[in-house]
Amino acid sequence: MIQPLSGIQNTAAALDAERTRLDVISENIANANTTHGLDGKPYQRKVVVFENALQQAMGGDNNGSTATLRVARIENDKRPPVLVYEPGNPDADARGMVATPNINIHEEMADLIAASRAFEANLAVIKNEKSMAMQTLAIGKH
Amino acid sequence: MSPLSAIPQMMSSYGATPGADVMRPKALPTPGIDAPTPLDQPGEVAPGQPAGDSFGSVLGRLVSDVNTKQNAAMQAVDGLQSGQGVPLHQAVIAMEEANVSFQLMVEVRNKLLDSYQEMMRMQI
Repeated sequence: MIQPLSGIQNTAAALDAERTRLDVISENIANANTTHGLDGKPYQRKVVVFENALQQAMGGDNNGSTATLRVARIENDKRPPVLVYEPGNPDADARGMVATPNINIHEEMADLIAASRAFEANLAVIKNEKSMAMQTLAIGKH
Repeated sequence: MSPLSAIPQMMSSYGATPGADVMRPKALPTPGIDAPTPLDQPGEVAPGQPAGDSFGSVLGRLVSDVNTKQNAAMQAVDGLQSGQGVPLHQAVIAMEEANVSFQLMVEVRNKLLDSYQEMMRMQI
């Protein structure tokens, strides 16, 4: 199989991973005020762990295998929930304290920007790769 | 000296007559680039070469590869539009790959046509 855009599988995998990271960040932001999850506990912040996977290149009869990026697992942040005094809240304990998620919205926004920039960088790689291919096809044109 | 008198020389430089090796320009050593192999005669297979490696079958494989890429791109777009969970970037990448492969095929076709027309214009 011809591979007109070589190495694009790597970039596509990275885009997939960054997409997952963005999804997880959006989940964190959406649940920043969830005090009552399915298990009755406040929502716990989730973190994406990336790993370097050895992937068989598609149709790799010439270039063998390449190391690509993929999401290894999505883990919970170990930090404890933040206790806030809010006696009117139905989830408040006997002392009027409510356990709110361990989410700092500023941290999430910074992560969001980082993930979005990483996505953008991979898009730039694809754009460059395509422009290189098209310019190469134009060799010898006047 | 007639203009046609150069033709035997040209032909011999392509190895058409025996003993033409003296006329043949020395091939420059180009690392990484194989020396051009003569095209197979139709219906004749060079010894030691698999039968499916004629120029026609190479071209046919290119066309079918491009077709496969186009089909993959169409499937990705279908999957995206019907909500089967195909990510947007994968559909777009599949389309771009199909596009570049198609452009490559078109360039090969243009070159072939150019060389054919050049042949047809040749004065004999």
